[in-house]
Amino acid sequence: MVQRVSRQFKDISLSFDMHPVTKDILVLKNEDAIKRSIRNIVQTLPGERFFNSTLGSNLSKSLFDFVDYGSASSVETQIYNSIVNYEPRVSNVTVEVSPRYDENAFDITVYFDIIGQDFPRQEFNYILEATRR
Amino acid sequence: MPFTKFTNLDFDQIKTSIKDYLRANSTFTDFDFDGSNFSILIDTLAYNTYITAFNSNMIVNESFLDSATLRENVVALARNVGYVPRSKKAATARVSFNILTSTTSPQVTLKAGLVCIGGDGNSSPYIFSVPEDITVSVSNGVASFENITLYQGVFLNKTFTADTSLNQRFVLDNSGIDANTIRVRVGNRSYSVVDNLFEINKNSEIFLIQEVSDEKYEILFGDDVFGKKLENGVSVRTSYIVTDGEDGNGSRVFTFSGTVIDSNGVTVDPDGTVSVTTVDAASGGAEIESIDSVKYFAPRVYSSQYRAVTARDYESIIQQIYPNTESVSIVGGEELDPPQFGTVLISIKPKNGTSISDFAKTSILNDIKKYSVAGISQKIIDLKLLYVEIDSTVYYNSSAVQNISNLRTNIINTLTQYSNSVDFNKFGGRFKYSKVSQVIDNVDTAITSNITKVKIRRNLNAVLNSFAQYEICFGNRFHKNPQGYNIKSTGFQIAGELDTVYFSDVPVPGSDIGILSIVKPTNVPGQFQIVKKSIGSVDYVKGEIIVNTINVTSTSLDDGVIEIQAFPESNDVIGLKDLYLVFDVSKSTINMKKDTISSGEQISGINFDSTSSYSNGTLTR
Repeated sequence: MVQRVSRQFKDISLSFDMHPVTKDILVLKNEDAIKRSIRNIVQTLPGERFFNSTLGSNLSKSLFDFVDYGSASSVETQIYNSIVNYEPRVSNVTVEVSPRYDENAFDITVYFDIIGQDFPRQEFNYILEATRR
Repeated sequence: MPFTKFTNLDFDQIKTSIKDYLRANSTFTDFDFDGSNFSILIDTLAYNTYITAFNSNMIVNESFLDSATLRENVVALARNVGYVPRSKKAATARVSFNILTSTTSPQVTLKAGLVCIGGDGNSSPYIFSVPEDITVSVSNGVASFENITLYQGVFLNKTFTADTSLNQRFVLDNSGIDANTIRVRVGNRSYSVVDNLFEINKNSEIFLIQEVSDEKYEILFGDDVFGKKLENGVSVRTSYIVTDGEDGNGSRVFTFSGTVIDSNGVTVDPDGTVSVTTVDAASGGAEIESIDSVKYFAPRVYSSQYRAVTARDYESIIQQIYPNTESVSIVGGEELDPPQFGTVLISIKPKNGTSISDFAKTSILNDIKKYSVAGISQKIIDLKLLYVEIDSTVYYNSSAVQNISNLRTNIINTLTQYSNSVDFNKFGGRFKYSKVSQVIDNVDTAITSNITKVKIRRNLNAVLNSFAQYEICFGNRFHKNPQGYNIKSTGFQIAGELDTVYFSDVPVPGSDIGILSIVKPTNVPGQFQIVKKSIGSVDYVKGEIIVNTINVTSTSLDDGVIEIQAFPESNDVIGLKDLYLVFDVSKSTINMKKDTISSGEQISGINFDSTSSYSNGTLTR
C-alpha cells in the first residue's frame, strides 16, 4: 500500500499569541499541529464548515446520554471515524473512551502514528464533559 | 498565483486559488489538511470572497430588466420606462336588486363595501363589494339598484395625516389590491388617478399609483407643479378592494349582505329578503402581472408609447386593458377582402373559454379609444377557431410492447401535451406535420412508423329556423379531388326536408371552384341523393366555403353546430389572419396496426397490411 510521505508539518496557532523571541505568530509544528488538527476535527459539528457538511463528528449529540459503556462505544466510533476520514497524516488510530460516572464525563485517549515522520506513537488525552449540568 | 477570477462563484475554486497562493508564498504547510487551524482561516477567507462575488453578481443581475429576478427590482426597472405593472384584478359581476323599505327618505345609499356573497354553487363563496357609495331614489317604497358592478374582494380603508415636514410615503398595507378600485379623498375632495402628466397643472387634484415592495401600492401626490401638493395636517383617506384575483371568476349566484342608509345616515332594514338578479356572472378576475410578463411588455409598451398605431401596439395595449387575454390577433381593414379602410379588426382569445362577453367587448373598445389614432375605428370580432385533426395509423412492433391500448393512450397523451405547445393556441400558429409525425414516432421504441393524414375543420354555428347565408374561411388551400367528396360535414336538417342532410362538393372541371350541394343518404349503403344542388360554392385555392341562403332547423350536434371539414393541400396548416389554430386531439383518430415485418412474423413482407396516405372513404364526417 502506498502511503503519503509528509514533509514537516507547520500550522499557525489560533491563540494568535506572539513568539517571545521571534516576535512572530506562534507556530505549531509536527505532532502538535496534528494533535490540534485532530482536536479540531472531533470538535467540529457536521455542517459547521462552509460547503463541507460532512466534516466533523456528532459528539455533542451524545451530550445528554447516559455516562455508560454504551455511550462510550458510540463516542469512540464517532471520534475514530472522523479522524480516519479527515486526517490523512495519521495511521493506526486507536480510540479509548471510558466513562467517569462520578464526574458525568468521559475520559478519552487517542493513539496514532504519524505517517512519514520518525516520531514515536502519539497519544493525547482529554476529558469530555457537559459544560452545564 | 493566478488569482484573477474575481467573480468566481465556486467556493472550492476560490479555496484552491488561496491554497495555490500559500503554497508558493508561505512557510506554513498545513493548509492542505481540513482539520488544521490554517484551514479554518482559509475557509473564512474563501467564504468572504464567495459572498462578495455572489453579491456583486446579484447586484449586476438585478440592475437590468432582462436579468433581474426579484419582483421589486423588475418593477422598479420597468418604472424607469414608465410602465406600471398590472395589478391583481378583481372579478366583476353585474347585478340588479330591489330593496323594499318603509323609510320616508326620498333617497337611500348603498354603502361602499360588502354588498353580496357570491358563488357558483360548488366552490366556496366569495365576497363582492363596491368601491364607492351608490345612491338611488326611493319610489313607492322600492329602491331599485340596476346593473350595479360588483368587485370580488374585501373593501378596506386607510387614513393618513399629511405631514409635509417628513419625507412621507403613502403605502397601502395590503398586497392583492386591485389598483383600479383605489379611491383617494383629501380633506373632503375626491382625487382622481392619472397615469401620465398630459393636461395636468398645479391645481389638478390627482394622484399616481406605483407598485413598491411585496406587491403593495404607494400613492403619490403632486408637487404644485404637476398636481396639487398636500397641505400639512390634511387627512388623506384611501379605500381599496383586496381581491382573490382569478379565483373569484365564475360566481353567478349572489346573496345580498350590503348596508343601506337613508339620507339621515340611519341604516335602512329591507322589508323581506332582497332577491339579487345576476345580469353578468363574475368574470375578468386576474392575478397580478407576472415578472416574466413585466419583462416582456415593459419595453414593448415603451416602444408603443401608449399609442395604438401598429398591430404590435394593439397587442401590448389590449393585454394591459384586458388581462384575461391569452392571445390577440389584429388585422388592418386594408388586408381584408373586400378591404375595409379605416377599420382595425381585433380578435381576442380569452384565457378561460373561447368568447368574450358583449359587456367586455364594449369596455375594451371604450378603453382602447384613449390610445388609438383619431379616425380609426376598432371592431372586436368573435374568435374563429380553425381545428386541425389527424387520422393516424401507427405501426408497432408487437414483440416490444406489452399493452397496445396503453401505447395508444400514451400517444394520445403525448399529442395532447404537444397540442398545448407554443405552436398552437395562438393567432398565426402553425401545425407542423413533420414535428407531429416525429412526436408520434418518439412516444415509444415499439412504434416503428406512422402514416398520418391531416384534416382541417371549422364549426359552423347555424342560426336555427331562420334563413341565413354563411361564409366559412379556412385560410388554407384545399386539396381538390376531381371526383368530389372534398368537403364533408356533420348532419343537419333543413326546412322542407325530413331526413338528415350533409354538405358535399363537386369541383367544376378546369377551374378552382367547386359546387356545394346538400345531399342525403339513400337506402342503398354508400349511395347519396342530392337534395339541393348549387347551394353554394367552394373556392379550393382560398380555402373558402360560401353557403347561400338556407334555413337550418336543427343539427345533429348540440348548440346548432355543423362541423365542416376539408383536406388541406399542404400538410402544414397555418392560422391565417384572425383564425386561431387549435390542434384537436380529442377528435383525431389513432389506429394501431401491427408491423408484421418488424415483429418478425413476415420477413418478406408479402402480406404486409399497408395504409393509404390519401384520404378517401365516406361522404360524411
